[in-house]
Amino acid sequence: MFLEIKNLKVKGNGQEILKGVNLKIKKGECQALLGPNASGKSTFVQVIAGNPKYQISRGKIIFRGKEITKLPPEKRTKLGIALAWQNPPAIKGIRLDRLLKKINLGLKGPKRKFGSKLDFDGNLLSRQVNLDFSGGEKKMSELLQVLSLNPQLVILDEIDSGLDIKRLEKMARLIRKELINKKIALLLITHSGTILRFLKPQLTNVMLDGKIICREKNYQKVLRVIKKYGYDKCKKCPLWAS
Amino acid sequence: MAMINAKNAHYGQVDHKVENISERKGVIILPSPQAWQKLNWTRKYFQKKPKEGYFIWVKEQPLFSLTTCIAIASKKVSQHLNNLLVIEKNIKAKANVVCRAVRSNLDCLHRAQGKLILKEKASLEYNHFHQWGQKDLVNPDYQFILGKDSQLIYNYKNLAPPKNLQLKTAVYNDDNASANLKFIINALNSKINLKDTVFLKGKNSQGIVNLRLVGRQKSRIEAVSEIFAQAPAKGHLDCQGLLVSSDSVISLAPKLVCQNKKAQLTHEASIGKISEEELNYLRTRGLSEKEAINLIITGFLDDN
Repeated sequence: MFLEIKNLKVKGNGQEILKGVNLKIKKGECQALLGPNASGKSTFVQVIAGNPKYQISRGKIIFRGKEITKLPPEKRTKLGIALAWQNPPAIKGIRLDRLLKKINLGLKGPKRKFGSKLDFDGNLLSRQVNLDFSGGEKKMSELLQVLSLNPQLVILDEIDSGLDIKRLEKMARLIRKELINKKIALLLITHSGTILRFLKPQLTNVMLDGKIICREKNYQKVLRVIKKYGYDKCKKCPLWAS
Repeated sequence: MAMINAKNAHYGQVDHKVENISERKGVIILPSPQAWQKLNWTRKYFQKKPKEGYFIWVKEQPLFSLTTCIAIASKKVSQHLNNLLVIEKNIKAKANVVCRAVRSNLDCLHRAQGKLILKEKASLEYNHFHQWGQKDLVNPDYQFILGKDSQLIYNYKNLAPPKNLQLKTAVYNDDNASANLKFIINALNSKINLKDTVFLKGKNSQGIVNLRLVGRQKSRIEAVSEIFAQAPAKGHLDCQGLLVSSDSVISLAPKLVCQNKKAQLTHEASIGKISEEELNYLRTRGLSEKEAINLIITGFLDDN
């Protein structure tokens, strides 16, 4: 298994946020993780990326056969895990092109440049990282950084939020071309599920209250249910009780 | 960093010895003791007979930069410099000025008194770079006298500070004169005392001061930044500190003194720490903790 999460329990600010999460992703597989606000999705992906803000009280994270549960974030990145943040912080005084150069310096193997393919108004690269970026610009910047990391597993946290349909299509085309077609494993975190129509994940998970309560191959079915009934229907699902 | 360029007007000194002087058309450069002897009018600025230092007199519009490099290369050297730079009326000039110790273990003293005179409608961009060793004592005391309608941009950058830095700067603005000062100091095992004062003496004069101070390991920074408005004028202080190490202290004291009811003075001051979120974000980009801290500091110091 490429990525395996076993019974992951995580605390943040003294509260248990993840209550025993299990997940498996195969090499080159595209999976989605849906869930309502505050269900634990972002915490989950931050923990996979190694953010030391969260304390793992139980469970294991295994990536490419190696246990990485206690590995610092930069080492996980070097192993091939790349996370696009939902709300990335601004890095004042540092231009995006400078950060990308710094990222590239730390990488082994071929350097990848995507600036021209993504640049919004032609000047995103020359602006300070995430400072006064619009919602859409932040998403583009995140994808740009993630692609530059030469990843093996990409986690996109709400990459579709704040994008109009035109930009969403552009983003989805690039994700398909640079990640899915190249057999790079992908975990898509989404609240609305809009992007799933473009990327067609092989498996869709639903997280509720710190647990994955549903796994379904047909993403359209999951989207239909959520659209019609909201996540309340999931709560009534017999699997939830188990 | 100021470089010796064949096209520049240049003054270079190592320890107490004048190494090279390159004069260019319209620019007089002399060691200060010679200026004192040859040019009587300089005495009112030097006040007492100088022992060493440079005198630069820009009489015609230069098409090149002015550069100076004052270095210390021997152990236990004590420099006592008196520098005088005069920019004549209507002239725009740029100066790149370097003061440094060649090695980090020289245990030296660098004391510099400088006077910079900008005559009416003159303009000067003065980039002042310092690089010192861990045992050095450094004490620059500079005065900028700004004539009517003159403009000063002063950038002081010290990324390798000495053991003890006492930096004093005073700016006197006549009518419509403007001064924009920026001090960038990255303190590491250092004691820094910084005092800058802008006197807005003339009508419609302006003064802006930016401080960007980083306190790394075992550092103590005390900065007093003042603006006195004695005429209808505008002034602003922007003092920011970044405390990186818990064994360091930063003290920032902005002071506004308004002596004219039509003057407008403002300030902002803050001391922060490295944001955990920014740090973790950069680590998920593959940067080690140390690399991430260095990048955040670089951004803080470069941010306008």
